[in-house]
Amino acid sequence: MGPYLSAARSGARRALANPAELGVRVLFYIVVLVVLVALWGAAAEANGGEVAAYSFIALAWYLMVAEASVIGTKPRLIEQIGTDIGGGMVATEMLKPISVVSWRIASELGEAGARLLCAAVSGAVFITAVAGPPPHWGALGLALPSMLLAVTCIVVAQHLFGAISFWLGDAKSAWYLFQKLVFLTGGMLLPLQIFPPWLETLSWALPFWTMAYAPARLASGHLEPWILAGQLAWLAVLAVAAGIAFAAGERRLQVGGG
Amino acid sequence: MFALTLKTALLEAWTARASFFTQVTFMIVNDLVFVAFWFLFFNRVGEVRGWDAARTLTLLAILATVTGIALGLCANARHLGEIISSNELDAVLPLPVDPLAYLLVRRIDTALLGDLVFGPALFLIFGEPTWERTTIYVLVSLCGAAVLISFLLMLGSLTFFMGGRGEQVELGFQAILILSAYPIDLFTGLTKVIMFTAVPAAFITGVPTRLVDDFSWSQAALLLTVTAASMLGARALFRAGLQRYRSGASWSRA
Repeated sequence: MGPYLSAARSGARRALANPAELGVRVLFYIVVLVVLVALWGAAAEANGGEVAAYSFIALAWYLMVAEASVIGTKPRLIEQIGTDIGGGMVATEMLKPISVVSWRIASELGEAGARLLCAAVSGAVFITAVAGPPPHWGALGLALPSMLLAVTCIVVAQHLFGAISFWLGDAKSAWYLFQKLVFLTGGMLLPLQIFPPWLETLSWALPFWTMAYAPARLASGHLEPWILAGQLAWLAVLAVAAGIAFAAGERRLQVGGG
Repeated sequence: MFALTLKTALLEAWTARASFFTQVTFMIVNDLVFVAFWFLFFNRVGEVRGWDAARTLTLLAILATVTGIALGLCANARHLGEIISSNELDAVLPLPVDPLAYLLVRRIDTALLGDLVFGPALFLIFGEPTWERTTIYVLVSLCGAAVLISFLLMLGSLTFFMGGRGEQVELGFQAILILSAYPIDLFTGLTKVIMFTAVPAAFITGVPTRLVDDFSWSQAALLLTVTAASMLGARALFRAGLQRYRSGASWSRA
C-alpha cells in the first residue's frame, strides 16, 4: 500500500498547493449553487412547496452534495488519461513495479479528496445560510461516507472510460459521453424521481447514480443505508473493469511498443 | 486582413476533417442533453415564473449562437489572460495589424462551432420563427456575443495589471455562462443586480430572449448601449494594459 498511500498524499498536497485553482473551483461551485437553488426554489414555489416529494430544503441539500461530489473530481481527467496514454507517459509508468491504474487512481483520489472537503464545507455553509439546516442529521451522517464513495466511483469510472485510448488513441469522445451520463442519469441536476419511469429505470440500471444521486439522496433527508451497499457493489464492478481494461491496454502497449 | 485570418483559422480546423466532425457532433450531443434536461424539468414542474419549455429553449438557442460566435469563432477571447502571462503577445505586437482584433480571429474552437449549428437549428424548431423574430434573434445574438467577448477580454486584460495566469477569466467565464443558461426571472435581489452589472449575463440571454418574445425599443436601446459600452471598455482596458506590458522575448504562435 506504501506507494499508493504516498501517491494519494502527494495528490492531496498538489491540490492544496494550488490555492488559486482551488479557490476558482470553489467559487464556481458556489455560483452553480446560487443558480440551481434559484431554479429549484422557483420550481418548488410553483408546485406548492415541493417537487417529487422533495421540499425546497431537501432539494437544496440534494444539489449541494450532488455538485460537491462531481466538482471534487477533475472534469477532464478522461481526456488527460487519453493524452497520457497516447503521449507515452503511461508506457513510462509501466516501468515502475506497481499497478499503473491503482497508482493513478490513488493519486487522483488524494487530489479529489482535498477538493471535495473544501467544496463540501463551503457548500454546507452556503446552503445552511440560504435554505436552512439539513433535513435529517442521521441521513447527512451517512451522506459523508457516501460522498467519498461517489468520488471514488467517479475516479475509477474515469479511468475505465479513459482506457479506451489504448485502442482509439484519444478519449475525448469518451469524456463527453461520461460527462453527460453523470449529468443526466447520475442525477447531478435532477433527482431520479423527477424522471419519467423509463428513464428512472434506465438510470438505476447504470452505475452513474452512485456518483451524484447516492450521496445527494441521503443528504436530502432520506435515511436509506442500502444506498451505501449499492455504491460499494458498483465500485467493485467498476474497479475490476478498470483493472481489466488497463491490463489489456498495457499488454497492447507492450506488444505494439509504447 | 481579419477575414483572411479567420479564413486561415477555419481552414486549419477543417484540415483535420474527421476530428472536426467528431467535435462538432459531440458538442451538438452535449447541447441536446440540455434540451432533454429542460423537457424533463418542465414536464414535471410546469411553468415557472412565466417560463415554459419553448421559451427556455429560445433562450438556449440564443446562448448556443452566442457561444458559437464568441467562443467558437473568437476562441482567443477566453485565453487572453494565458496569452498575456505566457508572453505570446510578443508574436502579435510586431505585426502591422490591430493586435486585439487579430488575436480574436486568430484561433477558432472547433467543438464550439457545433453551437453555431445547434443554436439556429434549435431556434428554427422551437423559437416560432417569423421574419421579425428571426431578424431580432440574429441581431440580439450578435449583441450577446459582443458583450460576452468584451467581458472575457476585460477579465483577460486584468492580467496586465494583476499578473497571474488569467485564473479570473475562467471563473468569470464559468459564472457568466451558467448565469446565462437559466431564465433571468428565476433570480432576484443581489444575484439579479450582479447579472446586470459585474457579470452581465442578463445581456447575453435574458434581455435578448425578452426582445425576441416581446420587442420593445427601450430594451433594444439598453442592449445596444451596453454592447457598445462593453466593446469600448474592453478595448480601452486592453490598450491601457498594453502600456504596462513588458516583452518576454518569447517568439511563438499566438
